[in-house]
Amino acid sequence: MSTTALSPFNVEFDPNSQEFSLSGVIRPRSVDEIAASISTLKGAIDQVRGVLYINVKRLVQMNNTAFHAFARVVLDACRERSDLRFVVVTSSVVGWTERMFGHLNKIEPQVTVEVYDSKFYPGQSFVENASFIPILRTQTKMTWRHERAILPRHGIRPGMVMADICCGIGDFAMLVRKEFQPARIVALDHSKASLAYARDVAAGFGITDIEYTYGDASEMLLEDNQFDFVTCRHSLQIFNQPDVLLKELYRICKPGGRVYMTNEKNSHCLGEPRSQSIQWTYEEVAKLFGHFEMDVELGPKSRRYLAEAGFDDIVVESFMVTNLDGDPQDFADIIAAWENVYAGEMAVKRGDPPEFIERFRQGFRDHIFAALHPKGYAGWPIWAASGRKPL
Amino acid sequence: MNGLENEAADGHFEPLLQVEMAMGTFLSDWHNCDQLSTFMARMISHNRTDPIRHSNFFSFALNELLEVSFRGGSLDGRIGCAVYRHGPMERVKLTFPCPPGQRQFYREAVSKTRRGNAYARYIDAISTDLAPSREAVLLDLAINFDARLRLEESDPPQITIVIDLPLEGIVS
Ligand SMILES: C[S@@+](CC[C@H](N)C(=O)[O-])C[C@H]1O[C@@H](n2cnc3c(N)ncnc32)[C@H](O)[C@@H]1O
Repeated sequence: MSTTALSPFNVEFDPNSQEFSLSGVIRPRSVDEIAASISTLKGAIDQVRGVLYINVKRLVQMNNTAFHAFARVVLDACRERSDLRFVVVTSSVVGWTERMFGHLNKIEPQVTVEVYDSKFYPGQSFVENASFIPILRTQTKMTWRHERAILPRHGIRPGMVMADICCGIGDFAMLVRKEFQPARIVALDHSKASLAYARDVAAGFGITDIEYTYGDASEMLLEDNQFDFVTCRHSLQIFNQPDVLLKELYRICKPGGRVYMTNEKNSHCLGEPRSQSIQWTYEEVAKLFGHFEMDVELGPKSRRYLAEAGFDDIVVESFMVTNLDGDPQDFADIIAAWENVYAGEMAVKRGDPPEFIERFRQGFRDHIFAALHPKGYAGWPIWAASGRKPL
Repeated sequence: MNGLENEAADGHFEPLLQVEMAMGTFLSDWHNCDQLSTFMARMISHNRTDPIRHSNFFSFALNELLEVSFRGGSLDGRIGCAVYRHGPMERVKLTFPCPPGQRQFYREAVSKTRRGNAYARYIDAISTDLAPSREAVLLDLAINFDARLRLEESDPPQITIVIDLPLEGIVS
């Protein structure tokens, strides 16, 4: 094994948010090696009032030597400063941090542990819910017809090391695996229901080489510069801070590798006949997602996001999934699934009156009518975009 | 290294991976603990339900064991580390030369992880010790990783720490 330097770790204190953060791999031989970090923590304690947040969300590894050293400082401070509280912010992804820091509360009740990703973005409950599964399943079936031809234009090749971030129910990973034979494929999502479904389907096909993993796309355990091709489909648009997610995708991508994403512009969904009712409803869809801090109008903004994240050689194209792509019933199924979640759950959650919800539903029904009409046409536009991480 | 021969006693555990090196080589660089544990964790976790998180947990535990043998290690002899699996459980056998004066220490440290007051001892270690003792490290594994530990001493001066880690259940 080669002897490279110990994986780097980072220690920061932000006095404005009163937050001390530890990240990376911290495995010192003795406390002396982390003396500077310990004094940063002591300095932080001296400066703050009320609460000091100790952020270990991105702490990938920490040995007992480091744990004891930091714990010691915190416990001593509890004994000297009854005015101070400590909130350790952990992630459910790295479960041992919650367990280990949790013991400090037994010793000093002033120390508490919060799991930040149990409730961390406004639309989480909708997209992580099992009722989202039928939507995803029908969607991927329809988009794949287009994407299998599009992906090579964005640089996908057999034998690549790939990651599908926000993989949902994992159907895209399965299709990519079959069509493009990656050397390795990691598929990450933060929905336990979707991952369980994904693993079940894979097991049913006897597939064992897709690495489904539970994680937060904006704070991933995956190391830097690992993947030749990173995909993230229909997901930038559901984050309240797409730039944070994109930064992570950039980080895990190898220099010279590419990040590929798809996003929608929901207000541009269309259909004939009954175009006006359809258009009204989809404009309302965009507003509804906006209410939950999701931007389902993101598609055409992909180029800007990629450029601002530091990618070059950016490629953007759009395609339209339509009722003519295959069986029109597939298209109708997607719309029916949207109606269920958007009108049946999200609008209800926003507190919309029944008259609104009825009109809102009508647009989806009209879209289905257009899709199934013998002379009708129904469409769902999608933007596929990718950029290269500079060498 | 006699890990595989001992397997008969270990019932259904299937061998996954075994690494062995001269103590002198191991002790030449502290980073060996980190690198070996990361490497071995990745190798054995690939077919776990959540390979990435399994590997993260396993690496934590293995690194602590390696650090224990690093801190107590002497330059002679060899260190061996073997990983086995049975269902949701991984078994690690870490074998290294142990001077006679330290054997009793390991016997006690390992048996303390199995006593009723293990948790109280662990809490006490965090709240009072300046740096973790090797004993506290083993307690950490028992308490935070639900590990079961025991010692094998059939081949002096080698000793073997045997640790069963039910990580698959904790991770997924
Ligand atoms: C609209 S779905 C798209 C799923 C899949 N890419 C597809 O196209 O079928 C968004 C996915 O992002 C996942 N997700 C949301 N927030 C996440 C986060 N912070 N980390 C990882 N996954 C997340 C949701 O669980 C959901 O599966």
